[in-house]
Amino acid sequence: MKLEIRLFAGLRCGNPELPCYGQSECDLEVPEGTTIRELRTILAIDPAISLLSMVNNHHEHEEWVLKDNDRVGMFPPIGGG
Amino acid sequence: MDKIARIDMGAAGGPKVTMEEVGEYVGLGGRALTSLLIAKEVHPLCHALGAENKLVFAPGMLSGTAGAMTGRLSVGCKSPLTGTIKESNAGGQAAQVLARLGYAAIILEGKPASDDLYKIHVNKDGIQISVDNSLKLLDNYPLVDKLRKEYGDKVAYITIGTAGERKLLAASIACTDPELRPTRHCGRGGVGAVMGAKGVKAIILDDAGMKMRPPKEPEKYRDANRKFVEGLRKHPVTGEGLPAYGTNVLTNVLNEAGGYPTYNFKTGQFATSAKLSGEAQAELEIKRGGTATHGCHRGCVIQCSGIYNDKDGHYLTKQPEYETVWSHGGHCGIDDLDTVARLDFMDDNIGVDTIEMGVTIGVAMDAGIIEFGDKEGAIRLMEEVGKGTPLGRVLGCGAAVTGKVYGVERVPVVKDQALPAYDPRAIQGIGVTYATTTMGADHTAGYAIATNILKVGGDVDPLKTEGQVELSRNLQIATAAIDSTGMCLFIAFAIMDQPETFQALLDMLGAFYGITMTGDDVVALGKKVLSAERDFNARAGFTKQHDRLPRFFYTEPIAPHNQTFMMKDEELDEVFNW
Ligand code: SF4
Repeated sequence: MKLEIRLFAGLRCGNPELPCYGQSECDLEVPEGTTIRELRTILAIDPAISLLSMVNNHHEHEEWVLKDNDRVGMFPPIGGG
Repeated sequence: MDKIARIDMGAAGGPKVTMEEVGEYVGLGGRALTSLLIAKEVHPLCHALGAENKLVFAPGMLSGTAGAMTGRLSVGCKSPLTGTIKESNAGGQAAQVLARLGYAAIILEGKPASDDLYKIHVNKDGIQISVDNSLKLLDNYPLVDKLRKEYGDKVAYITIGTAGERKLLAASIACTDPELRPTRHCGRGGVGAVMGAKGVKAIILDDAGMKMRPPKEPEKYRDANRKFVEGLRKHPVTGEGLPAYGTNVLTNVLNEAGGYPTYNFKTGQFATSAKLSGEAQAELEIKRGGTATHGCHRGCVIQCSGIYNDKDGHYLTKQPEYETVWSHGGHCGIDDLDTVARLDFMDDNIGVDTIEMGVTIGVAMDAGIIEFGDKEGAIRLMEEVGKGTPLGRVLGCGAAVTGKVYGVERVPVVKDQALPAYDPRAIQGIGVTYATTTMGADHTAGYAIATNILKVGGDVDPLKTEGQVELSRNLQIATAAIDSTGMCLFIAFAIMDQPETFQALLDMLGAFYGITMTGDDVVALGKKVLSAERDFNARAGFTKQHDRLPRFFYTEPIAPHNQTFMMKDEELDEVFNW
């Protein structure tokens, strides 16, 4: 299935095997049933970073199962105001 | 901070200074001091621009010490914008200098009989007040340049621009940063108009010959401060996100969450918001030789600010905050950072609140004065404000006035103060704060975004009503207390997540004053401040019916969540039932 991926605030795809290596925006094919946790492993995002993930404008937890055409936004911890 | 100076601007024969002991306000600072004093001394039904109103400048409880992050200055009065009590705070150098000079507060009272413009010089020898009509109709940047020729660079300046002189309801009070730029503003509520009404154009604070305020228990204080700083550096928000990208890092997350009010609150996402993002802004700042990491006062270890240069590498403005980039950006359908930066400079220079002005321009766009997305048009409207034309005066009096003058229905205000950069239909918790805070719509009063969106200090679903009242209540209480300490509110991200950093803050307060400070004491302080503010507002005629959002938030669902504001009136009425 295909995902629309947006990485923010300095996050980048860290997997040299992927076409989006080093990038923060991409459309990516992943296996059906991929969870947010598995996606971050696929993208090789530093496991030490606690991620905030938005799927189609909703905050979702790491075990959330993604669907075809989902838009996934990932953020490291951020704040402001 | 053992004295209070009262300056009667209306005294016969010219302004008169009276010094007094801090008395009942001992140990208080910042918002606690301004709000308790205004609630006690100002007639709640007075005209905010009249002689009966008072304008209080108070450094925080820990300002002027060696403690990190302690440089917030609170300004309190009855607000001419909202008619409620008002505390508006800013960074910059002023609080540290005023505290080292020994003042718990400087209070401007009365009203001068003439049109003369005054400047107030405060140094170790006391307070001198003089007429200086050569400062008339100077905006903040040229004003500070002129004052620097006379008073030099080792001082802090508190000033108003032309908006304050003209008593416009969006007028701010500017405090200079370490480089003496008038960029840190007590923005909200028209406090600059009150300073203008008192006839005071500038306050010059010179702490030469003064020392840091000494703690009662110096070693304990040093130790607690060290732990506190460690905690701020360790937390990813205060240690990494804010220093790298500033507050504007929020653009992408709010847009992604569908809570980014766009085209005057018509939709919750802006298609080209990425062009306005903190990431894009930081990259541009660095590329142009500015910086994305800068402290608004010495002693700030988070350094969320920055310097924004123009394309030729010349200073244009300080790093515009998220709220500013939103109000002048997405809210108006503008996706150009250079336009936003120019407007930010104009706001600071003229001396107006960036949130109020941006929201007002969006309302003016809804009225058809200019089109959404019209960059040059937005700048032209700001020029009108700077010139004080009739249209400029209407706009400079904020969104509520502009909406009334032009017959606009969708006017995003509570108690006539413009809503900030978070849509309450997509983020119910912040709507509770907007509706109920004593200040008129204000995100900082109880920043539910932290828990609704950023998942700091817990996780409350932004699209549901459950848990929002309690969240907003707790945040409003904590904020009232933090606003009293002189600490920048951004410490909250670390103290909400890290109990040891909160303990370090308590230990700093305890060691400084030689007392034991517990979490319960902080809660009690916050409640005391809020109660005094609520009492003032009640006597000023505010009822629970004023603690509501404009009707369109209840009737117009917003994309992408297609939700309205769902909190029931009875739930909102529970916020202050503790
Ligand atoms: S974190 Fe930002 S607002 Fe707070 S004191 Fe530092 S520079 Fe000023």
